[in-house]
Amino acid sequence: MAEMWITMGPQHPMTHGLWTLRVKIDGETVTDTEAELGYIHRGVEKICEARDFTQITPYCDRLCYVSAMTWAHSYVMAAEDLLEAEVPERAEYIRLMAAEVQRLASHLMWLGAFGPDIGNLTLMTWCLRDREMFLDLLQELGGSRMHYNYPRIGGVKRDIPIGWANRLKAKVKLFENRINEYEMLLDESTIWLVRLQGVGYATAEDQLDAGVTGPNIRAAGVNTDTRWTNPYSVYDQVDWEPAVEKPTSVKGADCYDRYRVRMEEMRQSCRMLLDAIEKIPGGANTHYQPGDEMILTKAPTRAPEGATGFSTYECTRGVSNFYIQGGGDSRGKNPYRLSIRSPMFITIPYVAKTMIGYKVADIPAIMGSFDPCIGETDR
Amino acid sequence: MGTTVTIEQNAEAAKACVESLNSRFSDAGVTAEAVAQTSGKKYEFVRIICSPSQLRAIAKFLKLEMGVNHCAMVTGTHYPEGSADRGWEVAYHLNRWPIANVEAHTMTVLKGEDLKGDDIPMGFEIFIPLPAGDSPSVPTIQDIWEGADWNEKETWDLVGIDFEGHINMHRVLNPHDSPVGFHPLQRQHKIRYHDFNEMYDDPQGFGRKPVDEGRVK
Repeated sequence: MAEMWITMGPQHPMTHGLWTLRVKIDGETVTDTEAELGYIHRGVEKICEARDFTQITPYCDRLCYVSAMTWAHSYVMAAEDLLEAEVPERAEYIRLMAAEVQRLASHLMWLGAFGPDIGNLTLMTWCLRDREMFLDLLQELGGSRMHYNYPRIGGVKRDIPIGWANRLKAKVKLFENRINEYEMLLDESTIWLVRLQGVGYATAEDQLDAGVTGPNIRAAGVNTDTRWTNPYSVYDQVDWEPAVEKPTSVKGADCYDRYRVRMEEMRQSCRMLLDAIEKIPGGANTHYQPGDEMILTKAPTRAPEGATGFSTYECTRGVSNFYIQGGGDSRGKNPYRLSIRSPMFITIPYVAKTMIGYKVADIPAIMGSFDPCIGETDR
Repeated sequence: MGTTVTIEQNAEAAKACVESLNSRFSDAGVTAEAVAQTSGKKYEFVRIICSPSQLRAIAKFLKLEMGVNHCAMVTGTHYPEGSADRGWEVAYHLNRWPIANVEAHTMTVLKGEDLKGDDIPMGFEIFIPLPAGDSPSVPTIQDIWEGADWNEKETWDLVGIDFEGHINMHRVLNPHDSPVGFHPLQRQHKIRYHDFNEMYDDPQGFGRKPVDEGRVK
């Protein structure tokens, strides 16, 4: 049969955002693919050159609208490296908890979007129900539902409110049971297993060479996680283990392994949260005023020419990096150059290549299992 | 308790990497040094400064001898007011992580504290200053790390650094029909509102002059 190109996107349920996958098919088999990105390129790197360091945090929130807290945290770490700011330990604990709550919310959004891809619409309603619990917690911290602007260079904007710790504990304990419910729903569903198992194999070494990181690589049987390989924050003080999944084949992890590793990662986030809330210096039910030295230290606002800042951060979809050069406009108040590594920008072309050889009907399963987010991809 | 790489392991690995790089490349004028982060946990990484012609040799050495298996990002910067030998700069950020394929139904659970030698994770930073001019260019490392492929595409698209030997170079973030030679992160392109100062000078119109200003009453 003659081969032909079909275009999936920019508006297609498989894409999870605005991008185009061009697929060459022979009958039902994919023989070649091309990813086209850039539909929502906003030029964040250019805009940041005209903003001072505090003004950049909201832009970094908007890099990924599903995982705003982790991106702001990642930026703030690079800015602290550039400006040589220290962070109080209580603020590090608060940031850790905020990031892990965000990770739960982000993985729930992924699972909620992945379910309908596979034909399980129940999952979306369940996941969005639970995600709302965690968005409420983040809303108490940052004041808004999705874009928090919460981390500050040298600390956090506000302390955790009185009673937040108790609400967190109750919600996390409830959610730990809910994860079991999800697994009962999914792991015994024939449709779920048939559509995910044996599809979209990717080995650990191939993925890392292509730049893929995060849960996708941990699904292939290695527990590499920048939270312990490039330690930051207080992850060495709380109780957790990197989530890792045994791949079902020598060909690497399939879509099912990638689903399993994210479920395990949510369990580990819960474990971390319950431990961090006990260990937080100053106590979980005290509230320090904004600007108190327990939660915020004063940081310089200008960086000299030639200074650089860099951060490596385990974002919910992989490793995000910020690289900042000091000495920009306004006598050093702005960065001269700010560069962002988005894990998904590298992953999407790789995923497009892994689809070759599978059927057209497998494309949503493979793409969805890698958790694409186009906001951060196009920046 | 979570596992972690200790700061002693990190310092030891950084020292070993710097020594090995310097013993191999110091004759060629390449400098490698261990630099510590200035905030957070203050872990060290390796900073290499070299010329474009040395890049591929260093990249191959890093990959084959030192186990650097991940190209994180490629950043181009434009310095229109820089010196004649540094009008542009390309920065590569690389990582070494202990990752190997596993058999089916098995997994590798590493403990950070137990890692030794080349297994200790390490970050690398390569700076390449390029002479001022209209055609900055470095050799590609697309064939050494596949992850550099789209990073180089992006750097060419946004900054206009040419990667010699890069196969299938095309626009990735800008529209495909952008004008040839348009690379928005070059410094001569200003964000548009820089030209519209009146919007910011008098947003509410309080500075408006009365019509009879200057007239003697």
